[in-house]
Amino acid sequence: MSSEFNLVSETRDNCLLVNTTGYINNVGGQKIIDEFYMHFGNGINNVILNLAKSNVVNSIGISFLIEIIEKLNQSNGKLIFTNLDPSIEKTFTIMGLFQFAKKADNQEEAFKLL
Amino acid sequence: MNVIEYNNIVERLSMQVSSFQEGFAILSGSNSLKEFSSNFCHILRGSLIISNVNIFFKTSDSSSWESFVIQDNKCLNYLPRLAARSGAGVEYLYDEDFGIIASFPSTGCFWGLIIGNKIDKSPLTELDKITFQMFLQLLDNAYQSITSHNKEKELNFALNHRVVQLNSLIDTGIEISRLHKTSSLLQLSLERAAVLTNASRAVLQIQSENKIISEIGFPEDSDIKKVFESSNRIETFVEFDGLKYLFTLSEKESRNGIAGFDPTDEILLAAFARQVLTAIENEHLHREALDKERMHQEIETAAAIQRRIIPQILPEIEGYDLAGINIPSLEIGGDYYDVRKLKDGRYLIIIADVAGKGVASGLLVNTLNASLNAYVENEFNLTEVAGKLNKIIYKASTPEKYITGFIAILDPPTGTIEYLNAGHNPVFYSSKEKLIKLDKGGFAFGMLDYGMPYQSAFINIEPGEKILFYTDGITEAMNENNEEYSDEKLESFFLGQNHDRAGTFIENLMADIKKHVADTPQSDDITTLCLIRTG
Repeated sequence: MSSEFNLVSETRDNCLLVNTTGYINNVGGQKIIDEFYMHFGNGINNVILNLAKSNVVNSIGISFLIEIIEKLNQSNGKLIFTNLDPSIEKTFTIMGLFQFAKKADNQEEAFKLL
Repeated sequence: MNVIEYNNIVERLSMQVSSFQEGFAILSGSNSLKEFSSNFCHILRGSLIISNVNIFFKTSDSSSWESFVIQDNKCLNYLPRLAARSGAGVEYLYDEDFGIIASFPSTGCFWGLIIGNKIDKSPLTELDKITFQMFLQLLDNAYQSITSHNKEKELNFALNHRVVQLNSLIDTGIEISRLHKTSSLLQLSLERAAVLTNASRAVLQIQSENKIISEIGFPEDSDIKKVFESSNRIETFVEFDGLKYLFTLSEKESRNGIAGFDPTDEILLAAFARQVLTAIENEHLHREALDKERMHQEIETAAAIQRRIIPQILPEIEGYDLAGINIPSLEIGGDYYDVRKLKDGRYLIIIADVAGKGVASGLLVNTLNASLNAYVENEFNLTEVAGKLNKIIYKASTPEKYITGFIAILDPPTGTIEYLNAGHNPVFYSSKEKLIKLDKGGFAFGMLDYGMPYQSAFINIEPGEKILFYTDGITEAMNENNEEYSDEKLESFFLGQNHDRAGTFIENLMADIKKHVADTPQSDDITTLCLIRTG
């Protein structure tokens, strides 16, 4: 079962690395996008989002992720999801997120896609 | 306007067409209303060569103007004039600071513009006015385009979300059907129902007679009380086996905060609840099937143990030929026979049949066998032993259970047989080609415990004579027309066979019974013993 949301982040070069824990809903999505906007425009135009500890995302959470994808696409940046739970990967596929974002097995693989 | 001036305007407007197209592309590509307004300012200032463009926006006719772009703060002094306007229209001011005030409705909103004078302070020409009108149209069209595009995106998102909901409903049904732990399938279903309806929290309560016996929350560390305190919630329940499974979702999320649950959410929640009910029913049936299988295996084991009680090899008695057979039915039967040599050199021959079949019958046969084991080690008095067996079986059995039995004590050298029939089928004895039915004795063992003594009787078996012990599985063996093999047929067969080998007699008897029943399944144990005096 999923728990309340938390995230930790770090920056590496022009990339923001975000590791989330728990339910990505309105609250979780808002925290992710707040973290994104804190760095976006300050030399950060790539995001790697590690969802290893988030196996539940609702559509409101997805709408925040789409907003990040749109912003990054405007600045030729990339969003890469890593460590996706199969059910989330399926949901993202249906929602069309992988038309504009990428996925990788882990952080190392994600860096190769940048 | 003369023809020359008109042609001049048309020619210059034609030249503006490409800039309108570029302007439309820029405006409709804007990512926000502020960006859209800002872009429009640049386009308009560049086209009309004017000092400033100030843009206001409101969502309804009655609401206040909200400033989007302010390039000259003095425009705020003109806001009352803008506010006083109703409907669409353009007002040319010709004053010192501003040249135009305009307002017009667009898709779901109103735009207000306060436009500065031309940079060279020259008055607006007719061409400028026409161009301005066309730019207002451009603003409206581009805004409609953005609105339509956003609506299209929202529609796509909503449609994709519906596909996700359907897909998840199917997947969840498959996943929970694989889970054999009720708690896991309940957690999974609750989580999926919450996620697909965008509920902030969810609770599943399991109730028995209105008492809560278990609660699951989602997210797992959320405050369950908040769910029931919320006025924004939906719930449904299913019931099975005396338990009520109450699903409650609260606080449907939207990007703008909390929204109301819609009928689709209620349908989805009910669908998840039904899946849970089906899974619980299936799990219940699965457990029942496992229990049955385990019980079946235990019964088979018990039947195998019971079969080992019946001797595989009978003792050889000098001057006699003895053979026996026991063909058990599929269930645990209650047939039993044994032949034991007593301490005084005589032989005990017993055949018995417990009323009914099943585990209880098997246990009684074991009790009978264990008791006999004890008695054959000591001096054996048939009537006394029969009395003791009756008490033991009576104590060990339920009222409807008892054992019919026939016990014979053979003294081989003399051929004397003391026998006792405890409610069993009469044993057949052929004496000088006549059939004598040995039926003296008493009640079946365990039927009554009145202390009435058993009585034994004596016969003397001569060379060439035989005795047939059997259980009712032989006489009651049915064919496909539900016709029994019958006592008469057995008597006739008994008298018609003249063999000196007991084994041959039994083989022939089995063949005759098989001929009668053909392919009809055996419903009871078939047990028989044959004793022939050979010398």
